[in-house]
Order: sequence, then C-alpha cells, then structure tokens
Amino acid sequence: MSEKNIILSVKDLEVKFKVRDRVLTAIRNISMDFEEGKVVAIVGESGSGKSVFTKTFTGMLDMNGEVSHGEIWFEGRNLMEIKDDKGWEEIRGKKIATVFQDPMTSLNPVRTIGYQIAEVIIKHQGKSKDEAKQEAIELMEKVGIVNAAQRYDEYPFMYSGGMRQRIVIAIALACHPKILICDEPTTALDVTIQAQIIRLIKDLSVEYGFTTIYITHDLGVVANVADVVAVMYAGQIIEYGNVDEVFYDARHPYTWGLLSSLPQLGEKGEELFAIRGTPPSLFEQIKGDAFAPRNQYALAIDYVKEPPFFKVTDTHYAKTWLLDPRAPKVEPPAAVRELHDRMLVLTAKGGIYGEH
Amino acid sequence: MKKYIFSRIIRSIFSIIIVESIVIAMIFTMIPKTKVLDLDTSYRKMTGDTKTVYRYTRYEDLGYLDFDRLSDMCKKESDDYNGCMVNGSEENLRVIAEYESKGYTVDKLRNGAAFAIHEYSIPELIWRFWKKLIKIDNPNAITDDNNPDLERKYYWGSDKDGNVGLMCSGCQYKYQLYFNSKFPFIHQNAIGLNFGISFPTKAGVPTMDVINEGQGSQVTVKQTFPTGLEAESAIIQSSCQYKPTIDHLDENKFTDHYANCSSRYDSPSMVNTSYIFGILSLIIAYAIGIPAGIAMARNKGKIGDQIGVVFINVVIAMPSLALIFFTRQIGTVFGLPDKFPLYGFKDVRSYVVPMVILAILSMPSLMTWVRRYMLDQSSSDYVKFARAKGLSQREIFSKHILKNAIIPIVNGIPASIILCISGALITESAFAIPGMGKMLPDAIQKMNNNMVITLTFIFSTLAIFSVLLGDLLMTIVDPRIQLAAGEDDN
Repeated sequence: MSEKNIILSVKDLEVKFKVRDRVLTAIRNISMDFEEGKVVAIVGESGSGKSVFTKTFTGMLDMNGEVSHGEIWFEGRNLMEIKDDKGWEEIRGKKIATVFQDPMTSLNPVRTIGYQIAEVIIKHQGKSKDEAKQEAIELMEKVGIVNAAQRYDEYPFMYSGGMRQRIVIAIALACHPKILICDEPTTALDVTIQAQIIRLIKDLSVEYGFTTIYITHDLGVVANVADVVAVMYAGQIIEYGNVDEVFYDARHPYTWGLLSSLPQLGEKGEELFAIRGTPPSLFEQIKGDAFAPRNQYALAIDYVKEPPFFKVTDTHYAKTWLLDPRAPKVEPPAAVRELHDRMLVLTAKGGIYGEH
Repeated sequence: MKKYIFSRIIRSIFSIIIVESIVIAMIFTMIPKTKVLDLDTSYRKMTGDTKTVYRYTRYEDLGYLDFDRLSDMCKKESDDYNGCMVNGSEENLRVIAEYESKGYTVDKLRNGAAFAIHEYSIPELIWRFWKKLIKIDNPNAITDDNNPDLERKYYWGSDKDGNVGLMCSGCQYKYQLYFNSKFPFIHQNAIGLNFGISFPTKAGVPTMDVINEGQGSQVTVKQTFPTGLEAESAIIQSSCQYKPTIDHLDENKFTDHYANCSSRYDSPSMVNTSYIFGILSLIIAYAIGIPAGIAMARNKGKIGDQIGVVFINVVIAMPSLALIFFTRQIGTVFGLPDKFPLYGFKDVRSYVVPMVILAILSMPSLMTWVRRYMLDQSSSDYVKFARAKGLSQREIFSKHILKNAIIPIVNGIPASIILCISGALITESAFAIPGMGKMLPDAIQKMNNNMVITLTFIFSTLAIFSVLLGDLLMTIVDPRIQLAAGEDDN
C-alpha cells in the first residue's frame, strides 16, 4: 500500500483446516499491510474467512487448523515462527488483544469482574494485586462503568450485555495492546448499545493509540468508524481501499452486491437486494475468480484465470478482471451509483449513519 | 436465603415423615408377624400357655399390639384386684366386658385366665412410632416405687477424674451434657432417638445401641468411681443410666442408682467401622480421581488420557466382586490379610486392601465426570477469551475452568461423605469387616423389623439433608446460584 508506518504485515497467507479427513482452504494467499493507528474493517459474508484471518495474528486457530504457508510480520519478527502457546503468550493480550462477539459468554461466570481485569494486569505488567486493582478500577471508569469501585467485586451475571462488552474491552485494553481485533463486537448487542460501544472503541483508540481491526458483516459499522476497508470473499481479499473509495467508488462486483444489499438503502415496498447463489466450497480447488458463478458481470476469463489486483488509486485496489484495460466498460448497479446521494439524505435527516 | 433454608428443612422433614410412615405401614402389614418368631429358638421349644404369653409379650415389645394379661387388666380397670383375679367372678367378667367394649379381643389361656389383645391399626402404628421417636430426658423420667426419695434436679458436677458435666438426678441418664477430650468434645444424653428394640438378633437391645455400641472385647481403663474406688474397669461413667436395683458390686462404685453403664470396647461400632473405611477410601478416591480427571481433560486424546479411559472402562466393566477378590488376592501376595479380623482394628495392614478396593470402585465415575465437566468448560467462550488475554493453558485450567467444572462435583460431596456410614456391602462381606453394609440386608432377612425401620430412617434423613448441604455448598462456589424461597425475589 504505502511506505507509511506498517504495524502488521501479512504476506501470502494460506490457512488450511482438516475437517473429517478432508482439507479445507479457509484463507487463500492473502497479503495485506495494516497501517499503524488506522481503523481497518474487514467485511464479508459468513464463512468468507474474516475471523480465521485475524485469528492467525494471535495463533488462536482451532486445533484442526494450521497456517500452511505465508508470513505475518509484527514488530520485526515473523509470528509464524512461534510454535507453542508459550511464545504466543507474549503476543496475545499483551500486544494484540481481541474482543469477541458475545459478551454474555466471554467472561468467566464464577470469577468477579475485578479479578478478570486485574488478572491480565498482574500477568502482563507484573504489578502487585493492589496496583492492579487500582488500575482495573480506572479502566472500568474509562469504559464507562459507573461506581466502578463498588462494582469491582461483582460477578458477570450482575452486568447487562452492553456493560459486559465494556468490561471485555477494558480487559483487552488492560495491557495497552498495539492492535485491537474486534471480532463482530456488537452483533450480540441491541442497536443503541452497538453505537455506544463502537464510539467507545473509537474514542479509546485515539486515547491509547492502538490500531483497530474490525471484523463485521455490518456495513453500517464500517461506514461509521473505518479508515480502511477490506472486502473478503471465499478466503481472499477482493477489494481494499479507504472507506470513501470502497463505499462510493467500489470496483468489484461483489462489493457492489454487498452495498446494494444494505437494508438501510432499501426502498419501501421494494424487495431488498440479495446476491444470488452461495459461496464456493472451499474444499475444492477454485479455478479462476471465486465469485464468477454468482457474478452477472462475469467474463469468460473469470472462469479460467484468477484476476490479479488492479490499482484504482494509490490506496484503492480491486481483484477483478473488469479493471483490465481489455475488459468491456461496465456500469455499477444504480443502487451503488446513488449510494452517495442516499447516504447524504440519510445523514441529513439528523441521524448518524449506522445508528438508527 | 434463611427463609429458603427454613422452608427446605420443613419440606425435608415432611418427606422424611412420609417415607418413614410408608415404610412402617409396609413392614407391619406386609410381613406376617408370625414370621418374626420363626428364628427365635427359645420360642420354638416352648409349649402351652408359656408359648402364648411369650408370643404376645414379644409382639407387644415389637409394637404390633397391646397385650394385657389378667393381672394388667385387673390393675387398670378394677378396684377389687383380688376379686378380679378369680376366673369367672363378677368383677372378672365386668373387667373383661370393659376391655371388649374398648375394642380388645379377650381370650383365655388354658389355665382359664383371661387376657386381652388389641392389634394396632396402621394409623395407630405410625402415630406410636412418631410419638415415641424423640425421647427427651427429664428429672421426672424415672418412676421407681422402691425409691420414693429419689431427688429430682439438675446440677453441675464433675466426676472424680475431673470431667465436668451437667448431671441429673431423676433422669434416665445421669450425665445430661458433658465435656471430654473426644471429638466433638461436647456430648449429650438429654435427647435421644428411640426406634424400639432389635429382634431376633441382639434381642432386646435398642436398635440405636446395636449400631452405635463398640464391638470386640472389653477394654479396661484406670478410673476413679464416685465412691472413691480406683479400679481398672471397662465402664464408661458418662453413659450410666438409672438402675432400679443395685447390687453390692454397684454399691462399691456408685453412690446413687445410676449404675447401668455401657462398656468400652476395643473395636469401633458398626457405624464407625463403616465410616472409617468410607471416609479414608473417599479421601483416596478424591485425591486421585479429581487430579486424574483434570489431567485427562488437559491432555485429551493423548496417551495419559487414553490410559485413564482404559482404566475407567475396565473398572466399570469388571464385576465389582471379581475386582474385590482379584485385588484381595494381589494383597495376599504382599502379605496383607484377606480377612479383616485376622489382624483386627489395631493393625494398619487390615485396612490397606479394603480401602484401595473401595477407592478404586468409586474413582471411575469421579474421573469421568471431572474430565467431562472440564472438557465441557474448555470449549466455552470465556476460555477462548482467556486465551486471547494471553493467559497460559495452565492458568486457564487452574483459575478459570476448574472453578466452573467443580461446581457439579461439589454438589455431590456432602452426600458421599455423609452416606459413607451406610457401608459397603460386598467389600465388607468379602473381608468380614463388622460394618454397616450387611446391616440392612441382614435385618430384612432376619425379620428384624425395627432395625429396618431404624436404618431406613437414618439413611433417608442423611440423604435428604446431605442434598440440602450440597445445595448450600454450591451457593458458595457458584455466585450465580442464590437459594430463594418461592418465586424469583432477587
């Protein structure tokens, strides 16, 4: 992308899973750089490999998965050379923290909130119990827990879902990580709480100066917070660029499909748009462009040869043959073309996009 | 919480009453009472009136019926005792008529003397059981016509050996409340449970004494009696009860009528025997089973786990009898006794093999459950998050998973501890251990009905209260569980 501060660099990553004696290729040769301090959103439908991709950063793949190929460079070392959990403990939580989808189950039900925060501080910062408690209470206040000192000794079941997610974020921040991976952090929460949590993460990222990686299928979240968007399909990144570029000048037909199916843009009385078909089976070798069978703009070459990344601008790339100079000129669908105007209308109504 | 516990206790007591009443009704109605005397050898040798009287006296002792001989009838119903005692006299006939009108069946012995019996109905049987169950000692408990000057009072006193206690004159027991160096240091005789007498085994001895009294041969201890006599004696002074007629041997030792004392024995009672084995084997089983289960869960699928699974399957699949005899055989190779009485209570060697067997028998289920709960927990989200926090596998297991996985195990601990007293039937039989295991089957076989009722009461009460204890214990380890009476009020 550029020669700016790259905090994490993925090179030609391939991840395979063994599922009942068959091999599934979940990540197919992804290369991507993460710029320091930016908010990166990875979007895509279920099963596209978003979570698996970020799990490799902390060595948290399931037992049957392995990185078969590729490198991940972080702070001058290739994380793929770490072989055991002991090595990963230096990275997990301490350098790269993760917030998971469901706050209801992310916390140990029989340990106090305070214990679960302080535990990380003691482990990674080597502080004493009292110091850790002090810092934990400060963190709790920072993530918006009222009466933090009193609530320190309470158990997770005494907290609401939104408050638990705040605690999860507090735990993730306890060690001042360089990167915070938010794996669908708001999916399990109701809409008003979603907006609060997203804003909280954004505010904290400015304060603590960490890089945020959002995994989401909610484009509303993306538009609201992301600097950079990467669209994933069938284990590959098929388009990435700055948020405005991807939203208003999308080039990949799959991105068009995603944008067209935004429920916020649906017209009353009209059916919502949906991408036809299903993603390809990752058990089989994919020939050509994985999206071709579902793509109404598919070219003959899409079935034969995998497209390379074509450069749109310095920051915007897309992996589709449509950008080849020899390809026929194709207009994006009307819904996507009008996206900008529609968004403006939505915003003009006084709402913040993504909160409704 | 208090309200809940209170209501739980009330409900527990209610269920105990129901269970026990059903058992009483079943035993007294479904077992023909003639069978009770089948095993009584002296009864079989008797003939004539002696036999009749003996039979009804026994039935009365065992609570089947109320039996009044002519003398009892006359004492109760007539002012003219001597006239009443003459068969066929006017007074005699009047008393008989009186008894018949009260619902008694009046019959005549061969010598012509009348006697009355009244068989209790089921409600009467049940009522009588509960009425006499709890026996509270008081200074008016003793009625002894030959000792009208018996003082009626409580007082603090100590025996000549310096043991202090609350004493009583006029009560059944002299020592109402006393302290000594034996666990639990405070003892009492004031309140007791009365289940009636054991019969035909240990005929006439209260059932509670049968299971509670020491076994083996008596041991003497040097002690000082109230008279100042110093002697080697097996008597336990704190157990002395009122004795109506004291002989000169008693007079040597005691200054009052409390001379009916229990003795010290060299072997523990049946309950204690079973308890010693139960608790020790339980400790072994938990000490090995829980860490083994944890280790298996941590190394799931690896060689250690596989060995554990094989062990569990072998022990579960093998008939316990085979395991017991097999282990016993191995024990003899190492010079360990194959029968408990060979070396007796004093020798450690007597305990090893039975305890190992009991531990092995209870380990597989414990291991299975611990392993299973640990594995259940390991796949939960908070474990994933704990890993993402950077905790090591070891920390996750010890600080997070274990505390969750142990909750259901904790619930069962009080029951396993308390119910140790029920003994282990097969193991105790195989090693001839004089414990509780054989008590219930034996009692059923020998028609020892009161013993069956006693044991049912003890086991069901302990079972119900150990479940309650388990639940209370669970609230300590699991903050989410709060016991509340009625609907959700918190």
